[in-house]
Amino acid sequence: MNQPLRRLAAALFVAFALLILDVTYLQVIAGPRYRDDDRNPRVVASRTGKERGLILSADEQVLAQSIADPDDPQRFTRSYPEGELYAHLVGFSSVNFGDDGLELVYADKLRSKRDLTISDLLSALLGGDQRPKSIQLTIDHGLQQVAYTALGDQRGSVVAFRPDTGEVLAMVSKPSFDPNLFLSGEAIATRESLLTDPAEPLANRSTNRTYPPGSTFKVVVTAAAIELGAAGPDTLLPDPAELVLPGTVEVIRNFDRGVCADGTEVTLQTAFRRSCNTVFGFLGLQLGAEALTLEAEAFGFNQDTPFEIPVLNSFFPQPSEFTNDLPALAQSAIGQRDVRTTPFEMALVAAAIANDGIIMEPMLVSHIFDTDGQVVSETEPKLLQRAVSPSTAAIISDLMERVVASGTGTRATVPNVRVAGKTGTAETGVGPPHVWFIGFAPVEQPTIALAVLVESGGEAGENATGGSVAAPIAQEILAYWVQSNG
Amino acid sequence: MTRNAEAALLVGAAAVAAFGVALVNLAQGDGIDAQVALTFVVILASFGGFHIAIRQWSPDASPYLLPLAALLTAVGFVEVYRLNRGLASLQRWWLLIATVMAVSLLLAVRRTGLAPLRRYRYVFLLSGILLLLLPLLPTDWGFPLRGFEQSGSRLWIRFAAGPLRLQFQPGEIAKLILATFLASYLSERQAILAVQTRPLRRYRLPEGRQLAPLVIAWAASFVVLIYQRDLGASLLLFALFIAMLYAATGRAVYLASGGFLFGAGAVTAWLVFAHVQRRVSGWLDPFADFADTGYQIAQSLFAFGSGSLSGSGLGLGAPDQIPNAATDFIFAAVGEELGLAGSVAVIATYALLVAVGFGISLHSRDSFRKLLAGGLSFALGLQTFLIIAGVTRLLPLTGITLPFMSYGGSSLAANFLLLALLARVSHEERV
Repeated sequence: MNQPLRRLAAALFVAFALLILDVTYLQVIAGPRYRDDDRNPRVVASRTGKERGLILSADEQVLAQSIADPDDPQRFTRSYPEGELYAHLVGFSSVNFGDDGLELVYADKLRSKRDLTISDLLSALLGGDQRPKSIQLTIDHGLQQVAYTALGDQRGSVVAFRPDTGEVLAMVSKPSFDPNLFLSGEAIATRESLLTDPAEPLANRSTNRTYPPGSTFKVVVTAAAIELGAAGPDTLLPDPAELVLPGTVEVIRNFDRGVCADGTEVTLQTAFRRSCNTVFGFLGLQLGAEALTLEAEAFGFNQDTPFEIPVLNSFFPQPSEFTNDLPALAQSAIGQRDVRTTPFEMALVAAAIANDGIIMEPMLVSHIFDTDGQVVSETEPKLLQRAVSPSTAAIISDLMERVVASGTGTRATVPNVRVAGKTGTAETGVGPPHVWFIGFAPVEQPTIALAVLVESGGEAGENATGGSVAAPIAQEILAYWVQSNG
Repeated sequence: MTRNAEAALLVGAAAVAAFGVALVNLAQGDGIDAQVALTFVVILASFGGFHIAIRQWSPDASPYLLPLAALLTAVGFVEVYRLNRGLASLQRWWLLIATVMAVSLLLAVRRTGLAPLRRYRYVFLLSGILLLLLPLLPTDWGFPLRGFEQSGSRLWIRFAAGPLRLQFQPGEIAKLILATFLASYLSERQAILAVQTRPLRRYRLPEGRQLAPLVIAWAASFVVLIYQRDLGASLLLFALFIAMLYAATGRAVYLASGGFLFGAGAVTAWLVFAHVQRRVSGWLDPFADFADTGYQIAQSLFAFGSGSLSGSGLGLGAPDQIPNAATDFIFAAVGEELGLAGSVAVIATYALLVAVGFGISLHSRDSFRKLLAGGLSFALGLQTFLIIAGVTRLLPLTGITLPFMSYGGSSLAANFLLLALLARVSHEERV
């Protein structure tokens, strides 16, 4: 009987030896893989409960802070006092879903360096500061609030820059969500309901959604015409009620299905002021695909724009795509067809005109400072690229001023302030149009350039136009800004 | 090794537990409190009482059993305490109750020896089968003894009379009863089973008549599987049965046919039962269905990986993230907080305990005691292997407790009785 018993015992000892090999593999060889897996709650826990730095607006409003647990001063809870107002910008740092927004982009600065990772240890030995850093944004809290309120319950976005520095003054996307909910006990349920919400509150419409720019794109077409010397403000162009697209029976019509002026000829200035599609369709065909693509790219289409948070590229087709499709070229010249852009990019277009044709690199973080309030690093304004010459910018600025003075954009008028702008009403093919207003003020020395987008006509629905829906929103924002900045 | 050395080691094990509890307290921000002293006293009272009973009624028993079991109990208790202090204070009561049961067993057989266990084997078989079937009692009938279901398995009986509620998992005791019955039955019949055969083609098989009781035992283990959804107990009982049959007869054909039956049973179970399929898919790729079938095992792997070589330290890891960490997954908690060093030490301690058990068996002259000690040691070793292999994803998870370490009264009681039986066998054989 002893021999089979010995064999059974031996089998068990082999099994135990296997277990030892198994745990050795699990804890040492495969260990780091499991230890660092994003789904490992320890990875997340190592980030949470720790103190993170502040996120402040330009006027020192607290947008994100870590509050010490009264029972355990070593444990912190993150909170976002302004909630929905900054959700897409500031983002969140969640146990369940990781970081997002600036909380993700600046995680390395915001977190404390006391995790005892090798690099943290090394920096401690070298006398580096272990404490979390804070960041201050370029956003003006008051302006952000005005923009948020002005959009009302409509889906859309407002992006405002200081044209001469590239500082983002306001950036709003609606509908929004309360990032504090991502830190609460109902985080998972919250995320589920936000993900399935047809209004898509999680989407950052300012930077991560593209829309046809509609007539706001006429700024780019006009820039191309003036830069090439093909036309000036007083150049006369044909004024038909319908522009027949080459090689087809399709036509481009004006918004009111009428003629632009008297039905014979019209100046570029008037066509711009009244946003006549037939004239710009014609102008686009005259300028050619090459010129339009080049000018669009000079304004930042088809390229990555350096920015703190990711921005979706705006799109204008390459010239080759128009070779056999001239109707598409005419439609692209009025910002329809395949042209797609973000509110962020259209605000840059306005800022370029406001800043003598120069696009400054957009910036959201003005500086980073440590717990003693000492500035650790500061963002300097940087030239990104030239869109048009100063003289072209001056001409277009004048055209845009007329749009607000006596054109489609009169509802953006701010008393005693010279406002320049361009409206857009982009057909979507399905449902109400997306409506736009881009502009800047004061014209003589612009301190703000913005883009307003209201998705699907907003509350006005089918009847919405850029002039009736987006311009009044811009008016509120510009009025507040000019007033509060003398 | 002398009895006094054994006593000293038991004090050492109690000190390990007390020291561990103190570390957990410090790590979790509490000071050294009464829990430390209480733990020391309870572990010492438990194993000390067991030790005194052995000195008294089985003085020639092996001195190696208690210290090894005490060390495992101490480490397990510290992790249970770390995971859930409420469970830990209950666990202290279970320890004392288990000790009383083990001491009572030693007391009961002090004059008669293990002979009555041998004599009344059919009573044991019957009571074993009844015990296994008890959880199938209705959950809501008038009689105070009821079945009880927990996390999808029907493994419990609950005695509920007025405010008194006692729950018990009979599967844990069943392995002792099965081992006792088989040892008795096989020691008597082993000669017949091994030799008397009739020709069937070229192979020699035992008479069907003699195999009948074994078939009953086999059927019972499958009833456990099918009606109670208890993979672990079912596999353990079946393997124990095959192993003891093999040990008694030395005929590999039992291993082969057992392996075949097991394979057929496993495939059938996998095809038929959704809960078996879930276990298998969670095992094959825990990350494919991370949120559902793979969640528990994935959390266990995270714990082991995070533990690395030296562990996070007691109370400093996050093993509470693993569902059922205090029971089935207690070894993952050890792996995280004590690291590879701790998990290898624990495995080695089990290996030593199993080796002591087999040593007792191999040195026994009487075939009943030899088979009893061998069967119990095999059951202890296999149970340990199955659950550790399950939580480390070496094998699909079968859901049984880790002897001496997991939280739970039934498990502690069963394994303390197992220790008492091994001690008594070694006393009678003067090993």
